[in-house]
Amino acid sequence: MSSSIIDRRGFLRVLGISGTAATLAGCGNTSIESGVELVESYVQPEDFVVPGVGVYYASTCAQCGSGCGIMGRVREGRILKLEGNPQSVISGGKICGLGQAGVQVHYNPDRLTTPMMRDGDGLKPVSWEKAGAALSARLGASSPISGEQIAFLTGEISGHQRVLLDLFMDSFKSTNHVVYEALSPAIGQAANKAVLGVEQPVLQIDKARLILSFGNDFLGTGPSPVHMAAQYARFRKAPRGTLIQIEPRMTLTGANADRWYAIKPGTEGIFALGLANSLVQHQAYAHALPADIASVLKLYDKETVSELTGVHADTLSHIAGMLWENSPSLVLAGPSAEGHANGFQNVAAIQLLNLILENNGKTLQGQPAHPFPQLEPARSSTAALAKLDALMASGQCQTLLVMGCNPVFTAPAFVHFAKHMEKVPFKVAFATQLDETANQCDLVLPLLSPLEAFGTHVAGYQPKGVEVMIQQPLMERLYPETRAFGDILLDLLKQRNPTAYKAFPDYYAYLKTAVTKAKPVFKSSASDDDFWEDALRNGVLHLELPPTGLQAHTEALKLGKPQVSESDTQYPFYFVPSIKADLRDGRHANLPWLQESPDPLTTIVWDSWVEIHPSTAAEMQIREGDILSVQSATGIVRVKAYLFPGIQPDTVSMPLGQGHSQYGRYANDVGVNPFKILNPIFDERTGELAMYATRVVIKKTGENAMVVKDEGPTNVQQGRKLVATLAADQAALAKEVSRVTQ
Amino acid sequence: MSLSNLIKNWSTLRVKRPYEDQYKDKDYKWAMVIDLDTCTGCNACTTACYAENNLPVVGKEFFGKGQAMHWIRIERYWGENEEMEGKFPDRGAQFLPMLCQQCEAAPCEVVCPVGATHHTPDGLNSQVYNRCVGSRYCSANCPYKVRYFNWWQYPERAWPNPLEQQLNPDVTVRSKGVMEKCTFCVQRLTEAKNRARTEGRRVADGEVTTACAQACPTSAITFGNLADDKSEVARIWARQKVDLAKDKQDKEEDLRGYRIFEDLRTYPSIVYMERVRNFEA
Repeated sequence: MSSSIIDRRGFLRVLGISGTAATLAGCGNTSIESGVELVESYVQPEDFVVPGVGVYYASTCAQCGSGCGIMGRVREGRILKLEGNPQSVISGGKICGLGQAGVQVHYNPDRLTTPMMRDGDGLKPVSWEKAGAALSARLGASSPISGEQIAFLTGEISGHQRVLLDLFMDSFKSTNHVVYEALSPAIGQAANKAVLGVEQPVLQIDKARLILSFGNDFLGTGPSPVHMAAQYARFRKAPRGTLIQIEPRMTLTGANADRWYAIKPGTEGIFALGLANSLVQHQAYAHALPADIASVLKLYDKETVSELTGVHADTLSHIAGMLWENSPSLVLAGPSAEGHANGFQNVAAIQLLNLILENNGKTLQGQPAHPFPQLEPARSSTAALAKLDALMASGQCQTLLVMGCNPVFTAPAFVHFAKHMEKVPFKVAFATQLDETANQCDLVLPLLSPLEAFGTHVAGYQPKGVEVMIQQPLMERLYPETRAFGDILLDLLKQRNPTAYKAFPDYYAYLKTAVTKAKPVFKSSASDDDFWEDALRNGVLHLELPPTGLQAHTEALKLGKPQVSESDTQYPFYFVPSIKADLRDGRHANLPWLQESPDPLTTIVWDSWVEIHPSTAAEMQIREGDILSVQSATGIVRVKAYLFPGIQPDTVSMPLGQGHSQYGRYANDVGVNPFKILNPIFDERTGELAMYATRVVIKKTGENAMVVKDEGPTNVQQGRKLVATLAADQAALAKEVSRVTQ
Repeated sequence: MSLSNLIKNWSTLRVKRPYEDQYKDKDYKWAMVIDLDTCTGCNACTTACYAENNLPVVGKEFFGKGQAMHWIRIERYWGENEEMEGKFPDRGAQFLPMLCQQCEAAPCEVVCPVGATHHTPDGLNSQVYNRCVGSRYCSANCPYKVRYFNWWQYPERAWPNPLEQQLNPDVTVRSKGVMEKCTFCVQRLTEAKNRARTEGRRVADGEVTTACAQACPTSAITFGNLADDKSEVARIWARQKVDLAKDKQDKEEDLRGYRIFEDLRTYPSIVYMERVRNFEA
């Protein structure tokens, strides 16, 4: 564009008119008017730019690990809005609120625009030459470090970024690529693997007649919320399936259930075994289990189960009855069932129900093997962080590289991550914006936003066949000093092994070569260039593969007598953190749209709060807005009370994601961080942090403040027909006009 | 509207609106259907609206004063009386996406002292920002509370550089002192209508949709042209026996379609489909 723009003076000079002549020519009749000369259009658009017309380009959403295909609306070279890409099986042309806010990552006023280097107590902007020199000195060809001395800490990472990262770590003979997600589903994955033979079965929500979900929030925070929401929509059409949700605190999915039950946190497995016991009484299921399990199951009679779980004994019989009347069903475990010392057992017990009900192969299937396993996301865990923490504390770790993960914020206080991180002499962060962890580093390198960079993504959850998602820039980079993560890695790799990578001038060249090399797998006969162009245009490479079967390992379940952990008089309340679909572990708290997007269940914005059941609040004389201290054995936070009916009376809940101190203007000083009061309780089988096992004591502080929320003075309809409800047996869904079912 | 036009069309202009088959021979009447059984309350629509329509983020302080600018919001209700006897919301929450109902007899239109809010020929309740003097009578008169007033000069505070680059050039950025509201994404409608007119046809069903409907992960929102009998929206309205010009429908028991506050005779252009619950569960 710039070459074609000339100012008026320049324009006149080109025409041979300048000085006084120009002034004279500026008024009155001109040679242009008289037709002697031609006027060229002042706007000379670049190729593919039609002024005033928005054009859509395909790419991939990087806001969570679901890997939704997106379309970006680009006008005059600016990305304006994101939509779902209908070509992508995962998103099906739809997009969630979190995905929409991807443009605010890109245009964030707190974006990191230059490299920063530690200078005394603070980080100071430096040139890339200086930053690159510091990096080369530590990690270049002559670097002496290797093995345990170097660690690369990332969030979930997939595609060719992961391949380069693995190669980079290989060059140091190190296996310390630590993948840490604070909300990692590792416990559930381990239990699924043990019982079903796969870490994450593919769910056929729309095929189920009945879904029994133990705290699985597939509509809000599951492995692929947009895809599952579309399945859920079909599930709700004729013949309409029924959703029963059992959890200590109502999630978004629970809010959409036909029937919602509260349960004591951590007792989900006992309830599932109670159901199993009840089911095997039924003739059809009598032989579903080996005799040794069936005999121990007898201990889980409904009275015992009811006493331990707090769910009425009749409820158990009722749900068991529903399960055998509605086949195929689907039984799901979620974070609130997983995050306990017995979390693995809980999930195994819940999956046992799927085995008894013979749902495998009907509503649960195995994910087909990915043709490029090296592109798949490395499995995250919280146990990996503990190992890294020990390495840092012992002083072994000499160099720490961090990307896409903020453990200084998300690690519980008992880990002392920030303190141990100080012992590492050289810490590098790759980031689009400074956060608590980057602020502790010695060198921070500014990355392109996902809307500016090329890349590939592979989702951990592949709903149908397998897909490699293509990410392409939707606009020119905003800041000249920002770079692609792939380019930085490739530069370092070139220094360490010049011959192997010399064919690739940059990450784009590497990516194009790598993707086109995969052409035979996608059964394409197009030329390399055409294949690449098609991939960019569609935003996705899809390979239709049949789902695989699941196994049945009942022996994975270690059955004992039904028992629960003893109550604690000092800390009488169970503490259930809640995951917000938009803020997740707090990495999106810097996006103003999401801060101002009300929490669906409480309608609160820009804040943290503690949810407490109205009956408990009445007992303790707590009103909305009363500031309470919530204290666990490891920490204390002060936060406003919100009276919430969808919670166990002996449980309190706080949303995760708020409480940042160094994450830009929109996140800082908003709410408090409940990660910091989690107790060191771990799942016995996997060693993962048991996020839902902390107990707290709550006390009034005597202060009160307004809770900022969308909800009005009343939270009921008061007889007005606002949200009308029809009984399922009365609704004639089959006769309705709907595009969802088509 | 010119005087000659007024005189020429006097017979159609003086009748009470809406009347039976008002849009029968017209090209467009924009309308919507929201299925409350598939709406999950996830807020994808509200964020999409912020992105499409240049809605300012007002911040905690102003939000607390009721000055949020969300053209579409999700209201959340809990059950009452016998539904809450077991002390828990046994049937989940009740979510209601609430946006301008684009009433055919809009209470907001008649009270505007300057004619800033008026009815368009394709059945939208439009807001002319340049005419608005900020009397806020319209907001006071709106039974759905879906009109939003610019109490502050938001452009400077809501979009610090470079966030302003995200602003949709097709949509005005409103300044202090004017009222605003959901437009059914009129910028998209205008573009589609212009394109169709150039090609000598009517806008096809599914050719244009609102930002909220486009984003909705469960496709709970359907948008379209009620004047086109074959459009999905028109077929749903017909199947649910909701008549635009009636204030009381002949509702059959198994039908789910209804309009909110129909008895106020606002004649909304949005049909909600009742939430369904399996009470056997």
